[in-house]
Amino acid sequence: MRKAWLVAKHEYLTLVRKRSFVLATLAFPLLMAGFIALTVLLAQGASDERALGIVDLASVLVDGVQPVNNAHPQFLPFADEAAALAALQAGHIQAYYLLPADYMQGGKVQLVAWDQDPPAASQRALDSLLRATLLTGQPAAVQQRLTSGVSLSVRSTDGQRNLNQSNAVNVLLPFVAGFFFIYAVLSSAGYLLQAVTTEKENRTVEVMATTLSPDHLIAGKALGLLAVALTQLAVWGAAIVVGLVLGATLEPALSVVQIPWTLLLVVLLYFLPSFALIGGMMIAIGSVFSEMQQGQQVAGILNLLFMAPFFVLITIFANPDGPLAVGMTLFPTSSFLTVLVRWGLTTVPLWQLVLSWSLLVASAAVSVWAAARVYRAGMLHYGQRLSWPAVCAALRGRATDENRLRSAQAANEK
Amino acid sequence: MTTLDAQATVKVSQLQKSFGAIPAVTDVSFEVYPGEVFGLLGPNGAGKTTSIRMMLDIFKPDFGQIAIFGGAMDEAKKNRIGYMPEERGLYRDLRLEPTLVYLATLKGMSELAAKARVAQWLQRLDLYEHRHKRIQELSKGMQQKAQLIATLAHEPDLLVVDEPFSGLDPLNTRLVKQIIQEQADVGKTVIMSTHQMYQVEAMCNRIVLIDRGHSVLYGRVDEIKRRFAGHAVNVTGSGDFAHIPGVLEARPPGENGAWHLALQPGAEPHELLRMLACRSDIIIDRFEIAEASLDDIFITIVQQPRGEAGDA
Repeated sequence: MRKAWLVAKHEYLTLVRKRSFVLATLAFPLLMAGFIALTVLLAQGASDERALGIVDLASVLVDGVQPVNNAHPQFLPFADEAAALAALQAGHIQAYYLLPADYMQGGKVQLVAWDQDPPAASQRALDSLLRATLLTGQPAAVQQRLTSGVSLSVRSTDGQRNLNQSNAVNVLLPFVAGFFFIYAVLSSAGYLLQAVTTEKENRTVEVMATTLSPDHLIAGKALGLLAVALTQLAVWGAAIVVGLVLGATLEPALSVVQIPWTLLLVVLLYFLPSFALIGGMMIAIGSVFSEMQQGQQVAGILNLLFMAPFFVLITIFANPDGPLAVGMTLFPTSSFLTVLVRWGLTTVPLWQLVLSWSLLVASAAVSVWAAARVYRAGMLHYGQRLSWPAVCAALRGRATDENRLRSAQAANEK
Repeated sequence: MTTLDAQATVKVSQLQKSFGAIPAVTDVSFEVYPGEVFGLLGPNGAGKTTSIRMMLDIFKPDFGQIAIFGGAMDEAKKNRIGYMPEERGLYRDLRLEPTLVYLATLKGMSELAAKARVAQWLQRLDLYEHRHKRIQELSKGMQQKAQLIATLAHEPDLLVVDEPFSGLDPLNTRLVKQIIQEQADVGKTVIMSTHQMYQVEAMCNRIVLIDRGHSVLYGRVDEIKRRFAGHAVNVTGSGDFAHIPGVLEARPPGENGAWHLALQPGAEPHELLRMLACRSDIIIDRFEIAEASLDDIFITIVQQPRGEAGDA
């Protein structure tokens, strides 16, 4: 195995030092940093610390009552509209709300602003203020319940998973994670295809074949590129964590993001067999075709099988437990991404997870097995692609060849 | 120094290999010993490369026995072999020195030892200045020398070099020749496949000639040349010597002014002399039996019908 590790180290270091890899890996964190910076700048530019005026002609407000979440501009009461208008013209307030005398009957409120409406958060603050005012005299618990509304959680029957609908970020996180994971898997598998065809294009394969076994060579390449994928994911993961921590200081909704431990476990379980499945496919394609370009065309079609859930995303979002979603959960190439997308939307039944993972692992094992055989048959086909009958023969006939060699070697030993 | 008493480094016997219905190798046998440069000869498509690939466990033989270092090939034995294939290749977009170090470590050397050894070879083959260059930036001759370093850096006991002089200028050809000879002198086993017969004559102790999948000639070079003496004559005189019955190949006069006539199998020099003496259109000034060159022997063997070659 020492040689496989050496190949893995070589492949890893060769790839992570490439400018294209560094750019592809850093592009996401840089974009995220840019996005956060832009948000901060826009937020700073748009913030207006001045108070909001309120003219209560309906006499409903109670002294001392404040909105439930009082993070927004304070309300400044005015006795009449003329005083409020004067304060607005003087620039002391950014706008004022007018509660007409018949507010209790119609519930209508007027907003008077100079040239720019106050932010939507001010509207929510007014709602909160009025609710708190109208609930004055009710028990504190009742006030709290009515102002906060319901917090709906969907829980699986086995009690293993909870889905909190009030947190959109937790719904979207698996989807985003799925996108990054599948991107990393596909790009690393693409590099694997490149590594195999490069051996043939460079004519290094014959030297390698007399240096280590094809199985060790392939295992080394796959391990090296798996490490590349994990490096890329680690960089992106770190960027997401830093982004969430920084973002939470600006956007309170982000502060309630929970670490999805069960999701992480699912990702870990699906990641390796998914990588092995597509890796085996890419090795086989690289072995069949003699040039990178030919292999990439076929690999592109295979990649679509892994990306398929994205093409039916609307259907899955609309019906995450429908037959299409379940079918794609069970199909090996689409299972990883489909499970992640569904994770934020519904409770995926345990039987589906178990069956889907089992099918994926079985497919991955077949893929790696076939790849090793096709690689051995195709590694010395320079300048010509391996015919399909030859591929079939390689899949069927290796055992026979080995038996022949063993008998020849046994005779030789005598 | 060839030591035939020693255990053979390579021993192949009755190798057979077909690709589908096409037989590539039908009966190839030879042994190679430590300290000798062994020539693996044959026309294009004769089965030389397939035999080498079977010997090195790249292909599985359909039938036959192969022993490397006294037994079947295994992973440890691969570290003792240096192979320079006819289809040359190194990682084109990587830098020279780290690539050679990587290949040497794959052959079992520590990284430290590999770096030191590669540096020595780079200096000897005038590539040290280019060690940081990408391989694709090197000339064809430089790449050829780099390939030789990849073959030698891990100090293999068995060297298999396929056309080691192709793409080299005369100066580098002499250097590579010298290196190969040095390897044999220190007891390494060298198997060299080439079409350059004068190099074989100059360097090889023993040869096997493979033709149409069979080993048709096998043994010491001097013995083979002795065996084939009388299969060619040098003739000086006037007349058309290009179309003489019983002559396989007639080479026009060279510097010595003599025609070199390679005889067909079965043709005897004294019969040829008698026939030439009887012809009125030819005048003979000088007639001598030529020492057969490997070139002549190669052509004689390869051009004769199958069945007779084995008797040669």
